Amino acid sequence: MNDSVVGAFGAKTVEDVNNAGRAARFIARALACAFRSLFRPKDYELTWTQMNIIGVRSVPVIMVTGAFVGMTLAIQAYDQLAFMGLEERLGVLINVSVVKELGPVLAAVMLAGRIGGALTAELGTMKVTEQIEAIRSMGTDPVRHLVAPRVLACLLLTPFLIIYADLLGIIGGYFMSVIQLGVNAGAYWTYSASGVELWDVCIGVIKGFFFGGAIASISCYKGFHCREGAEGVGRACTEAFVASFISILALNFAMGVIFKAVYNAIWPLRMLI
Amino acid sequence: MTQKDNKNTKNLSGPDVTQDDGIIVCKNLTKRFGDNLVLDNICLAIEPHKATVVIGPSGCGKTVLIKHMIALLRPSSGEVYFKGRRVDDATEKDLSRIRASFGFLFQGGALFDSLNVTENILFPVRQHYKVTPNSGLDELVKIKLAMVGLDGFQNYYPAKLSGGQKKRVALARAIALNPEVVLYDEPTTGLDPIRSDIINELILKLESGLGHTSVVVTHDMKSAYKIADRIVMLHHGKIIADGNVDDIKNHPHPVVQQFINGQVSEDDLAVLRMSGKDLKSQFLPEDFQE
Repeated sequence: MNDSVVGAFGAKTVEDVNNAGRAARFIARALACAFRSLFRPKDYELTWTQMNIIGVRSVPVIMVTGAFVGMTLAIQAYDQLAFMGLEERLGVLINVSVVKELGPVLAAVMLAGRIGGALTAELGTMKVTEQIEAIRSMGTDPVRHLVAPRVLACLLLTPFLIIYADLLGIIGGYFMSVIQLGVNAGAYWTYSASGVELWDVCIGVIKGFFFGGAIASISCYKGFHCREGAEGVGRACTEAFVASFISILALNFAMGVIFKAVYNAIWPLRMLI
Repeated sequence: MTQKDNKNTKNLSGPDVTQDDGIIVCKNLTKRFGDNLVLDNICLAIEPHKATVVIGPSGCGKTVLIKHMIALLRPSSGEVYFKGRRVDDATEKDLSRIRASFGFLFQGGALFDSLNVTENILFPVRQHYKVTPNSGLDELVKIKLAMVGLDGFQNYYPAKLSGGQKKRVALARAIALNPEVVLYDEPTTGLDPIRSDIINELILKLESGLGHTSVVVTHDMKSAYKIADRIVMLHHGKIIADGNVDDIKNHPHPVVQQFINGQVSEDDLAVLRMSGKDLKSQFLPEDFQE
């Protein structure tokens, strides 16, 4: 009994390590192909098409996400700040939260749902209908042809989408705080300007670059390695979303730690002010 | 059709085949998926400018065999050669050039859903040649579609085509680069007899007109008899018969006779011969009965 449990655990561990290695190799290759695509004009058309699908068509949903994040923060924080007489500082709280954390993370989660699922389903269906094998049979590298343009489009456009989310988050927060809750507009913006630094905005945008890369490469990997049949494609989509979501949270934490250390190294005295 | 006689020539599916015995040569080719042995030490040389048909029951490894010929699958052991050059250990970059010499007709067509018929046919051309707006691509598509009897369907998307039309467009795409070898994976499966015959005629036309080497995987014996210069039968991952149509029709191996005549085995029949009570209890246990 114990032997079989140990054996099963060992087999599962070996399988998981194999899968992790395969995923790492795939992602490294996808990123390398995406980088090379930057210098290959022949591939620009494919990348342009994906930029339209992944970037342009995601703008409305990302803007809606950002707006609701800003408005919800205003509603939730107003009473507590007003209780202490600090409601004019609502702007700094909302805007720092939006540009540094909630805007990038929630926009990336929304993208993982909208783009990640679609990428996995599209590539998974292409796999089960032998279209990916057909590409190989015609002497074309499917990673270069299918994955690189999608990864490149996600890498390049997720930061811009996060800027849209931030913008609408700020506008949504302003709308709720100033227009609906009656916070003084001048004080709102003054405190916001003093509390939100260019560094905070840059952190959010840089995070978008990593989130975009993670969403696209994980989703493409799951699509390329999905099992046969409708169930296989469905399962791959679910796995892609879960893996992308966890990656976003993990990357967000890791980058939070790294950026804090960098900030302290560059401006050591600011923390004391 | 003239049947070529292989009787006095070297055995092209024996263990002594060399890499120069055919345009494609598999030497001691073995393929396993986990514990499942699919191809067991296959030796096979494909002769140029002839149609070799690989037959065998479903799941016997026919598709796996032709996928090895174009290195879409890598063998567990053994070697595969194309024109004397080893392909099973070639890099994907080297294979890109080699695969331009092949056309592959997939079982389901494998047309790209997001591209129309023209774009599907031009896909391999764009991948291997630098094309300009004046490259005569429209003319090329027109010729290829005319060859498969579908001129006028240039702007259709695959979703709007019938099963037979999809296969014919896929065939037009497979021959877009005028390949030396065309590999057909179950070209007539899922088609009605008339559409099947159209596909058979197309394969013959392409072989005689363009001098292709054809390797056709099928379990449709009518199709095999019509197309084949040579028939190879796979069973449990091994070649059990190799010869021209007459050789196969008169082959002494009982499995070959059973397959080509479409006879059910005694084991399979035993289930069907069960008495009514036994048959009922076989499928409806007591617990399930009212």
